Amino acid sequence: MVILKSQRDALLAPLQSVSGIVERRHTLPILSNVLLEKQGESLTLIATDIEIQITTRSENVGGNGDGAVTVAAKKLQDILRSLPDSAEITLDLEDKRLLVKAGKSRFSLQTLPADDFPRMAISEGESKSLSVTQKQFRYLIGKTQYAMAAQDVRYYLNGLMLMVDGKELRCVATDGHRLAFNSMEIEADLARQEMILPRKTVLELNRLLGDNDEPLHITVGSNQIRFAFGHTVLVSKLIDGKFPDYERVIPAQLANHMIADRQTLHSAMSRAAILTNDKFRGVRIMLADNVLKIIAANAEQEEAQEEIEVKYDGAPMDVGFNVTYLLDVFNNLGGDEVQWSFNDANSSALITVPGNDRFKYVVMPMRI
Amino acid sequence: MNSNRRIAHLDMDAFFASVELRFYPELQGQAVVVGGARVHAPETLADGSRRFARLRDYAGRGVVTTSTYEARALGVFSGMGLMKSAQLAPEAILLPAQFEAYRDYSRRFKAAVAAIAPTIEDRGIDEIYLDLTDHPEPTLPLVQRLKGAVLEATGLSCSVGVAPNKLLAKICSDLDKPDGITLLEAADIPTRIWPLAPRKINGIGPKAAARLERLGIDSIGALAATPEDFLVRHFGAGTGAWLHRAAHGVDHSPVVTSREPKSISRETTFERDLHVRQDRPELSRQFTALCERVAADLARKGYLSRTIGIKLRYEDFQAVTRDVTLPVAVGDAAAIRRAAGECLKRVPLERKIRLLGVRCGALVPQGQESEETEERQGKLPF
Repeated sequence: MVILKSQRDALLAPLQSVSGIVERRHTLPILSNVLLEKQGESLTLIATDIEIQITTRSENVGGNGDGAVTVAAKKLQDILRSLPDSAEITLDLEDKRLLVKAGKSRFSLQTLPADDFPRMAISEGESKSLSVTQKQFRYLIGKTQYAMAAQDVRYYLNGLMLMVDGKELRCVATDGHRLAFNSMEIEADLARQEMILPRKTVLELNRLLGDNDEPLHITVGSNQIRFAFGHTVLVSKLIDGKFPDYERVIPAQLANHMIADRQTLHSAMSRAAILTNDKFRGVRIMLADNVLKIIAANAEQEEAQEEIEVKYDGAPMDVGFNVTYLLDVFNNLGGDEVQWSFNDANSSALITVPGNDRFKYVVMPMRI
Repeated sequence: MNSNRRIAHLDMDAFFASVELRFYPELQGQAVVVGGARVHAPETLADGSRRFARLRDYAGRGVVTTSTYEARALGVFSGMGLMKSAQLAPEAILLPAQFEAYRDYSRRFKAAVAAIAPTIEDRGIDEIYLDLTDHPEPTLPLVQRLKGAVLEATGLSCSVGVAPNKLLAKICSDLDKPDGITLLEAADIPTRIWPLAPRKINGIGPKAAARLERLGIDSIGALAATPEDFLVRHFGAGTGAWLHRAAHGVDHSPVVTSREPKSISRETTFERDLHVRQDRPELSRQFTALCERVAADLARKGYLSRTIGIKLRYEDFQAVTRDVTLPVAVGDAAAIRRAAGECLKRVPLERKIRLLGVRCGALVPQGQESEETEERQGKLPF
């Protein structure tokens, strides 16, 4: 029974948007599969890793049969990707096998029953909802997500803290050495609630959300969050844990401020980074009247020195940082200028963008 | 390297079983099998005599921890299932393992040896290597004195091999068991080592032996006669060259008197196979208990671990391992449990599980863990 007949991209594009979360090796074989559900002219695709579930839809697809089946997501994606763009694809469900046909190419894939596919239960009970544009949310998380921990034993750091509070939506990521904060205004007025999105959910949203003004509907439950945008719905579990109090570590009163051209600073920093010690990645930053010096040295006694012009009239300064933490923020910030504020060489530095009080990045120094 | 080394390998004879016989001397000369710690202990009767469990009465899934030479003569060896060994030796006496007692006897024999020859490499509970090169006494009387000291301290016999290196010494201690002394010089290799099966070389296990057999190599002599490049082709550069050296009795490895452990692990075979879903509470309890025991081992030995791994053996005996490396070394049971739990998510869990193990590798001595990156990089003052 032919359940689908369409141009390659009508199937490949939605497949690629759900298959990012599919784990290659998983405890349950069916989790390597994508669920294809064809009804009338609409094809629904679902993938899950139990923690996250992504559903998307392709409309106006051909093929007169209806049906539902699960098939290996990565294999189907690899096949479709290696066929020519213009190929017309037929999916033919035949006796527990899915035949993928295009021109003279034939692929017979094994399937698992659609009924066995685990679907995430949508949590009942109280929920909050809000809408923002895809671009806004992408900007919000894009400016912070790089500061998330990756495999920390403090599991609640391996994610992004999202907070609704009145008319504000805030997000915070930290790995214990640096912290990124960003916020935006929303059109709702909601009671304060904190939630921690798993790292994988954040990376996936960052990948899937468009740079456009289309709406993104967010629904927050007690242990689940739902993002609906375009034809796609992403449901994710929340990390159960207490995120550290970010307000305590964002310094309020700082004595010295430096303003520099972001690009210039980033380029100089990237060059110096080449000769940092692989393990510590430390750079020495020296500030004096309107001059910033970056010095890096590695275990082989090789040395890099950079000097750039900045706006600074504070006390002379000599401090070390992990260059990765600095490159991360300069790389992810837009805008022409960055402001760097600090008290002394032993306490945290605050990096902000002049004229933007919504973004804050706090980084601890490193002993060189 | 000194080419005239005198290296001894001292191996306790049927160690666990012999310790048991110290407790139950009436069993001397009988086929005795030591099972797991859960096997029934002997009952002391009213008249002071003891009633022992017999192998034929055993029902369960324990394995033989060790057996006396009498039981070995009936085909019962360590690692064999107790039910299976009951078919071979139904009348054999079955005793529970008393690991604390074995450790005690182990400490005693090592202390007795150390008083005479202090250059000792500890190879486990019942065997040690000794470097006797610089010892003033001639070999034979010295070895006799060592054996005497071990006997006096523990009442147990041991077998000793003395050779120019550890590889040969280990082979030799096994040549005249029990209560033997084997002295070997390099010139004796063709007559005494080459006729032996390749498996006698410590490091050639059943798999490598089977591969050698398929290549027509069924003795150490045949291995020695095989060109090195042939071995390198079949076993790779490292192993091929090592096989060649080993067959010629060449081994330069020193006697290592103190060593840092590479990993610390604990494992358990369940009373019955457990399924992740149906037996979740039981499995979870056992899993947590394993993590707690490993954490206690780590604490006792003063280490933290950065690589936490798990080992599973399924009901069909297939085994899998997974591990995860953490950004910081950990030592507490909860952190180990969490990391091990992550590993468990990465293995197939449809089949029932027979054995579960938790392993802590990449050990860092406690107190040194934060010295490097951790301490240089400032932490946010949350």
